[in-house]
Amino acid sequence: MATTQDMVSDRLPQGVGRWSRGWLLFMALAAIGVAIGVIGWAIEHDQGMAATGMRDLGTMGGATWGVYISMVVYFVGVSFAGITVAALIRLFNLEHLKGVARMAELLTVVALLLGALAIVVDLGQPLRGLVNLFRYARPQSPFFGTFSLVVSGYLFSSLVYLYLTSRPDAARLAESPSRLQPLYRLWAAGYEPTVDQRARDRKATFWLALAILPLLIVAHSSLGFVFGLQVGRPGWFGTLQAPAFVVLAGVSGIGHLIVLAALVRRVLRQEHRIGIEAFTWLGRFLMLLLFVYLYFVVVEIFTSIYQPTTTEQRISDALLTGRYAWIFWGSVAALVLPAFGLAWMAVTRKWRIGWMVIMGLIVNLGAIGKRYLVVVPSETHGQLLPYPIGTYAPSLVEYAVLIGLFSLGALLIGGFMKLFPIVEMEETP
Amino acid sequence: MTRRSIITAAMIILGAGLMVFAYFAGAAPWCNNAVECSNPRLEWSPAIFVAGVVIAFSSALYYSVAKDRRK
Repeated sequence: MATTQDMVSDRLPQGVGRWSRGWLLFMALAAIGVAIGVIGWAIEHDQGMAATGMRDLGTMGGATWGVYISMVVYFVGVSFAGITVAALIRLFNLEHLKGVARMAELLTVVALLLGALAIVVDLGQPLRGLVNLFRYARPQSPFFGTFSLVVSGYLFSSLVYLYLTSRPDAARLAESPSRLQPLYRLWAAGYEPTVDQRARDRKATFWLALAILPLLIVAHSSLGFVFGLQVGRPGWFGTLQAPAFVVLAGVSGIGHLIVLAALVRRVLRQEHRIGIEAFTWLGRFLMLLLFVYLYFVVVEIFTSIYQPTTTEQRISDALLTGRYAWIFWGSVAALVLPAFGLAWMAVTRKWRIGWMVIMGLIVNLGAIGKRYLVVVPSETHGQLLPYPIGTYAPSLVEYAVLIGLFSLGALLIGGFMKLFPIVEMEETP
Repeated sequence: MTRRSIITAAMIILGAGLMVFAYFAGAAPWCNNAVECSNPRLEWSPAIFVAGVVIAFSSALYYSVAKDRRK
């Protein structure tokens, strides 16, 4: 027997408005994860930063930036590929990729929100931090670029982009009677599929895409400069930080996009909209970015071991053979294996979506590892003053908050999928 | 030229103008890192910068959503 829910929503595409058992289970698990994160953050808020594994540099032998900041860099990185791919699709009219455009835009927005939240949980006094950034942030600091361009400009422009590209679908959905009809009417904001309106949309999204692309290069570079411009912190100071940030951002984001596209394709049966050509394009792009990043890694290793200072030597020893070696070599392996796996697929021209999903997940593990290694070792092993070598291990509270952040991302994407088609609907002539 | 185009252009110019103003109100590049230049010259100038970014990007929203009226 059809339920009321089925009756009102059976005209909506892609399972929008209909709740399957699998989706409910997914959302319940994600909600539990979010609850774990909220509890973790409440403990941190109650007990102060002492509840985390972070301690002062030097005197307390710890690290003041830990997994939270690693995750800020990681999430902002994930956001990079989403909007890049979405912008490239509009700019070059890549028809075969249109099926992944909206999920790429959504991925960007969700990842940026998570990145912003990861900054908030890293602050002992979040409210003070939020107010003072708007009050006192200085343009001379690379943090200014991160705050004003990444968190504000980049997030806002991505939201505008997502909204403009989704309006035509909202107008189509508003024509069908459903419980969500009022929402779609509001979303469509009087959209009429006239020739003029379409031309305006094309123009607006084209110029927006054109403005977003340089913005995100500047924004990601400024995040790299947060580390790369710190002359007093061996291991961070270097010209490669900014470009390496941009390239690894692309790696993690494209990896995520491949996983999300494969998941949506299978769950929503969108094989006709997200074809193998889309995965081929994404796979080639990921392969290219991986090889460029691996080149940076080789240059970085060579520079750090050729004729290092004492402190640089200490950090490179910790990375290559010491305490962080398992993370370093694990991360390198997680980037090398998919690079050659994708190269093999490119040479043989046999692209396997299943393998690409595995590679997408592995490169993200590698990216998380590399982000962690950018942030932590220079703090524990990079003291210029005669302090002993420090240690840092994330506490259970930090792990709980991380679970919460990832779960929130899953919850937002899962929620969006039941509210709006995550794959652009086909245009009617 | 349509009213839409004029307002869109005005929003971009206003947004960019606010960003430039906020940069110089916040930065003190000619101050040689003196202690008195540690804070922005104008409090809340970062908020003005962000407002400029938001207005500039909102122009796309206005351009696409607003109803057209020819002059």
